[in-house]
Amino acid sequence: MSLVKVQKPDFIQKLKRFFLFDLLKGLGLTLKYNIGAATDKDSVAGKGIYTEQYPKVRPDVAPRFHGAPRLNMDPETHDTLCIACNLCALACPEDCIDVLAMDVEVVVAGKPRRKKVLDEFIFDTSRCMFCALCQEACPTSCLELTQDFELATYSRAGFVWNREMLEQGRETVKYTS
Amino acid sequence: MIMLALFAPVNFINDLLSRFFAPETINNVVWPVIQIGVVVTVVATWVAYGTYLERKISAFMQARLGPMRVGPWGLLQPIADGLKLLTKEDFIPEKADRWIFFFAPYIAVVAAFVVFSVIPFGPDWAVITDVNIGLLFVIAVSSVGVLALILAGWASNSKYSLLGGLRSSAQMVSYEVGMGLALIGGIMFARTLSLSGIVAAQAFDSIWFIVYQPAGFLIFLVSGIAENNRAPFDLPEAESELVAGFHTEYSGFRWSLFFMAEYAAMVVVSAVATTVYLGGWYFPFVYKLEVSGWHNAYVIVSFLVFIIKLSLILYLYFWLRWTLPRFRYDQLMDIGWKWLIPSALINIVFTAFSVFLVQALDGWHGLRTIESMTQGLNLTATGKVIMIGLGLVGLLLTGGLLSLINWRSRDFHLKSQRRNIRLVSVPSGTSAVASTRPAAAATES
Repeated sequence: MSLVKVQKPDFIQKLKRFFLFDLLKGLGLTLKYNIGAATDKDSVAGKGIYTEQYPKVRPDVAPRFHGAPRLNMDPETHDTLCIACNLCALACPEDCIDVLAMDVEVVVAGKPRRKKVLDEFIFDTSRCMFCALCQEACPTSCLELTQDFELATYSRAGFVWNREMLEQGRETVKYTS
Repeated sequence: MIMLALFAPVNFINDLLSRFFAPETINNVVWPVIQIGVVVTVVATWVAYGTYLERKISAFMQARLGPMRVGPWGLLQPIADGLKLLTKEDFIPEKADRWIFFFAPYIAVVAAFVVFSVIPFGPDWAVITDVNIGLLFVIAVSSVGVLALILAGWASNSKYSLLGGLRSSAQMVSYEVGMGLALIGGIMFARTLSLSGIVAAQAFDSIWFIVYQPAGFLIFLVSGIAENNRAPFDLPEAESELVAGFHTEYSGFRWSLFFMAEYAAMVVVSAVATTVYLGGWYFPFVYKLEVSGWHNAYVIVSFLVFIIKLSLILYLYFWLRWTLPRFRYDQLMDIGWKWLIPSALINIVFTAFSVFLVQALDGWHGLRTIESMTQGLNLTATGKVIMIGLGLVGLLLTGGLLSLINWRSRDFHLKSQRRNIRLVSVPSGTSAVASTRPAAAATES
């Protein structure tokens, strides 16, 4: 440890201090930002405002973002693509998926057969960590994590999504102004 | 209402009133009551929208938008805020001194609002009352506000409140001295303490006293900001140290009264600064309206001029608040006692000398500096040039003199202590790396 002498201010620095140069410089900076923001016509894309106007403007999430789960349906027949194979539930590290299947009687080539179809799908979004391992495990690309991120609800029970919510999507208020 | 005032016959309202009241009652009771009502309404609205403006301006300075959700551009935000504050619980701590706790906010508000009675918002009917010691009244009454802060801090029975109250009392008492002393320079030119008289002196001389008194204006402005406990001098309510200072324990309506008092006090200081240094409602060429017979239009335009000048100073308040960081407590006392009060004293002496010099120069080698002395000190063009030059010299002289005096003693010797910083693993005798300039000495070693 040694004693070091900090340089004394030279004449120019003393002049700057006397005329409050740095104070005025700071005031100029804030004034520049103020005028820039106040004259900003388009607050969404403009230069003056740097904040995102969230409820008005939807934020762009990253392509790899994982959000609310969804059960995809066949676009033509509107039947679920889920074959109740239970692979997603097995893949889930948090154990937040329950697949409830049921057997139905079908007639295949004139003979009665029993087929396993999806009855109910429970997805607990409060435990989910959005790793999307279930999405990777799904053989029919039925279960998918979408880019929707508004998952908050007023009760704990609201976090548990059933088959209808997973297929239709949950109703949320979309603010436009 | 403005349209009515512009186009209605001048005596229309008077005629209407004379059907119900005696003439003495109209002049002494009815008109003052109307004026007081208008002023209180306008000031209360300003206080509400002052918070909105402050939030907007601070947002713009930080490249944000600020309140946008309540009404178009968030214009109804103050109403939402007010409703929220009114419906909040009015909590009084158990150990608090109930009555003092109860009354402290009212003292703050009354002290801030009473001052508006003497401020000339415009020429004729825009003044509630013209007291011949107006300036003295303003300073005396606005300093009662300190009492409210001390009482609030004491009555809350909380350490943060007490410390905040202590700080505010020390700060406001010390800055009031500089504030009062700074105003004396302006009074020397106006030769009256009446605020209307000061404006009239500036209008008669067709000049603003800021050009005669730049040093006085700066001292008054800094003292005023400190007096209002506004950033960068907002130590009584320093969030990082004292939670919320003297109003830590206050909530709901009582808290909003303190808030109102703060913003009203800001308007008071700005109004006094406008009146004494920026010519009040006076603006060149506006009097032509009066000459051509538009008396009420003249009053209203003058009032608008006053409001614009006031807004400029209020913008300066916001601007400084969102630019400068808070001072340390010893620095605050330092600025007050070592810089502002001595410079105000130097300014008084120098202004007195300048006024004497200008009067002495009158008639010297045929030089004419004095026009007349009927309404304030009325100078000719030559006298004005001399006085403006002397004002600038006074500013530099004051600053230079105080820099020389305070150079060694600043910051309780912290500066000289800081020059000898101990740094790890730097050879002795070399410059510290902390310098902003390229350290030539460091590279040599």
